[in-house]
Amino acid sequence: MASDSTEASSSTSDLKLQFAPFSSSLEAGFWHQLTQKKLSDYRLDESPKCIKGYYYNGDPDSLPTRLTLEFSAFDADGPTPARCCPAPGTLYNTNTLDAFKATDKKALLEKEAKEIWDAIQSGAALKKPSILSKFILLTFADLKKYHFYYWFCFPALCFPEGIKIIRPPVNLENVFSAVQIAALQEAYDGLCIKRRTTVAPYFIMKYTEDTVDLALLEDWETFFTDTKKVTVGVYDPCTLSQHPGWPLRNLLVLLAKQWGSKLDLVEVLCFRDRTLQGSRSIHHSLIFQIKLPELSSNSVCPKSVGWEKNPKGAMGPRMVNLSECMDPKRLAESSVDLNLKLMRWRLVPSLELEKVVNTKCLLLGAGTLGCNVARTLMGWGVRHITFVDNAKISYSNPVRQPLYEFEDCLGGGKSKATAAVDRLTKIFPGVNAQGYNMSIPMPGHPVDFSQATLSQAQKDVQQLEKLISDHDVVFLLMDTRESRWLPTVIAASKRKLVMNAALGFDTFVVMRHGLKKPMSQIISTEMDSSPTCSSASSSSSTPAGSGTHVPGSSLFSNIPGHKLGCYFCNDVVAPGDSTRDRTLDQQCTVSRPGLAMIAGALAVELMISILQHSEGGYAVASSSDDRMNEPPTSLGLVPHQIRGFLSRFDNVLPASLAFDKCTACSPIVLDHYEKEGFIFLSKVFNSSHSFLEDLTGLTLLHQETQAAEVNHTPTHTDTNKPKMDNTIY
Amino acid sequence: MALWITYEMTFYYVILLRLFTNARLLLRCAAMTETDCCVLDEEDFRRCCRLLLQRSEQLRDGWSWEVVQGSDEGYLRKTALRSVPDPQTSTCSSRPKQSKEEPDCASSLVPDSGRGELDEEDDGSCIVSEGSSVVLQYEYHILYSSSYSTPVLYFRAFTLEGRSLTLEEVWSFVHPNFRLCLQNSPLNALSQQEHPLLGQPFFYLHPCRTEEFMKLVLTAAEDKHRPMNYVLLWLSLVGPAVGLDVPLEYCIEPQPSDPE
Ligand SMILES: [Zn+2]
Repeated sequence: MASDSTEASSSTSDLKLQFAPFSSSLEAGFWHQLTQKKLSDYRLDESPKCIKGYYYNGDPDSLPTRLTLEFSAFDADGPTPARCCPAPGTLYNTNTLDAFKATDKKALLEKEAKEIWDAIQSGAALKKPSILSKFILLTFADLKKYHFYYWFCFPALCFPEGIKIIRPPVNLENVFSAVQIAALQEAYDGLCIKRRTTVAPYFIMKYTEDTVDLALLEDWETFFTDTKKVTVGVYDPCTLSQHPGWPLRNLLVLLAKQWGSKLDLVEVLCFRDRTLQGSRSIHHSLIFQIKLPELSSNSVCPKSVGWEKNPKGAMGPRMVNLSECMDPKRLAESSVDLNLKLMRWRLVPSLELEKVVNTKCLLLGAGTLGCNVARTLMGWGVRHITFVDNAKISYSNPVRQPLYEFEDCLGGGKSKATAAVDRLTKIFPGVNAQGYNMSIPMPGHPVDFSQATLSQAQKDVQQLEKLISDHDVVFLLMDTRESRWLPTVIAASKRKLVMNAALGFDTFVVMRHGLKKPMSQIISTEMDSSPTCSSASSSSSTPAGSGTHVPGSSLFSNIPGHKLGCYFCNDVVAPGDSTRDRTLDQQCTVSRPGLAMIAGALAVELMISILQHSEGGYAVASSSDDRMNEPPTSLGLVPHQIRGFLSRFDNVLPASLAFDKCTACSPIVLDHYEKEGFIFLSKVFNSSHSFLEDLTGLTLLHQETQAAEVNHTPTHTDTNKPKMDNTIY
Repeated sequence: MALWITYEMTFYYVILLRLFTNARLLLRCAAMTETDCCVLDEEDFRRCCRLLLQRSEQLRDGWSWEVVQGSDEGYLRKTALRSVPDPQTSTCSSRPKQSKEEPDCASSLVPDSGRGELDEEDDGSCIVSEGSSVVLQYEYHILYSSSYSTPVLYFRAFTLEGRSLTLEEVWSFVHPNFRLCLQNSPLNALSQQEHPLLGQPFFYLHPCRTEEFMKLVLTAAEDKHRPMNYVLLWLSLVGPAVGLDVPLEYCIEPQPSDPE
């Protein structure tokens, strides 16, 4: 090692022996077990606890000298891994960070050092030398954050003037013959077998040219007859070629205290025993000679050192953040992510999960559709889900709306928006869910009864505008058609992707609204090309002129996202008249029960596919014909609409153009909304449906159509309605 | 040998290179199953594991058989330390998120006591070691996959503080040669999965191609009438990619009953 060079090059005359300190090494299992002990056993008990670590003398070069604590550390009398040397320790676990900080580290060290010193003086350490490698562990476990603060101390008693090296360390093979090395290995194994262990932490040694004799420390007096020169062996965890590890330090103090005056020269064998590539070797053990300094004859405990430095090299504690692997909420999060990543790793390598997980979804409606959409979003790892609903949970709801239970219906019923949030959080604490118990103002539902109702409507509009601004995707999942109008207008104006799902008895439609081009691009488009959008849609509303256009099939294929229609584009009647124009969603409560699950799931899956498309909501709509073609995304098609017929167990993928007289997304409506804001909206709320029909020119269209029906052949009447005309199946 | 070259298998080309260099020794594997075909059933797997364990004990290679509590299922387990060079980049990347506050947090714990209370300058008897590398603890498990009829290598890695490494960090410690070859796989062969027996998140090498390439190796060996330990042979091919080396001594019979 590089750090040896300074010593190797200087003269040996006044060389002092230097030791490699322990580095603490903790397995994750240790922290798990400490957490368990703290929660179920120690609780607020701060008294010291016996624990156990171990060290190993068989590491390959370049590994630091470690003291390892694992899961089993709390079983102080339990087994130690084979050929590892146990070290007893004392755990001081504090209840607070302040107590951890305030602990008198110096006093703690001195207390433990005194125990070692007492064992040395009394000779108890001869019989039980493991006390020489005793350690202290000071901890504080912050189990709210799963942060663990810790500080190790490996107490070592010091000789005031250090230890003089007589003969510097060399590899054993430079001193011992092959015969001696083999004899040593055999003698060591014999000693272990005799002790019925796999290690001997300390031993004493005599050797000749072809024999090696080992014994335990406690047999010193009978083993050594001549103490001019003695050889001691230490199980040495260090891998440095010039330095012994820490366990030797206190042994030398023991020798000095017990026999110091009698010993001229001490030879030390740092026993290292490793198996590399299947072959065992002790050749690299170190051997050197030292002169032990005299310890003063009084019994005062020598100075001690041993607190471990932190990774910065400073005297200070360490901290490890284990929230990722211990916090149940984080574990749930990572498991959910892992599950999705598996989908990517195994099946869809190009899947961009980040786009999905980071999408903020606004769910307007927390009923049958809302509940199913939310669950499917959770399955995809979507974290940000917001509900808007003004209903309370009724007794009929829980069987069809999977976020609610019977209990939620009691006492008049909980608010759906908040109950849904509570349930999502219970299902997955990592979700960022919010609920708004509010109404969405609707066309033809006047808000001008009083100043109070008017300002409430204004507040609701503002709230909805803010919510739509703050989210990436808006789901329209309400059970009335009229309530979809306002969010359709706002989202179209704000260029937000809208996913719409509506149910009939056994039919459903799931669609994405066309995503209008960004404001900046609209102006330039209108400048350089004549309004293609309106020409396409006007052609569909005035089919008489279709002869001048390309055939219908090519007209309706490859419709780019910005030309796609919205939910209202297919209608020739403005929303607001719920008696005459019953639509799919108003029959929602009599849907076949599986329909909401199918449609809700499809709405989310369609959104996911759109997110995977490089152009997102501007992606060209796939049609049923594209089922045979190369799909545009890693997940497949990105249709405009999915219309399902449960009676036939069939889905079709129509695409339709935006209608230039649409009551929700036509330029004139958006223009009025953007210029007049709530004044325009309140007119819509307070007026009958004819207001929007007049504004968009639908009234005129009706009149023309009626005139045409009178004057033209009956075949034309079918194609007159934009509803059918601009929809392909 | 020619057979192996002609086979187009870019995914395992590095492994095959290694195979060529080791082929002679590997073919001498002597402890060994009598499988006629190349499919490994669970009983074979267990037998291979027992033989591997015996040899590991002799070689002190550290493998053990772990039984899952309350079942007869089990797996081979070994832990190993790896010293990884390039401390600056690796330590930085090994603490991606929490690095900002952590060191300050920990050191600010002892604002006053840091110097005064613990002015513990040793008597010069303590060497200052330079942290020129990062040490990681790896834990390897070998399980049997009945869906693939192959062994699967699971592993996880920790810092010396006990913190688990992320997949990105584990990737960064894969040897560059192997990284290239693993990345070229359509399945991103190194990935994360719940341990089937422990239910904890582990990394693993995807087994989907294992049978395919083991077939080649085993067929070649069978042609020469060499008995092979499927698990050992497989491990010696896939282990090195994630730092798990299999000593060649496994393939040298300890007794002088070598058929050579
Ligand atoms: Zn529209």
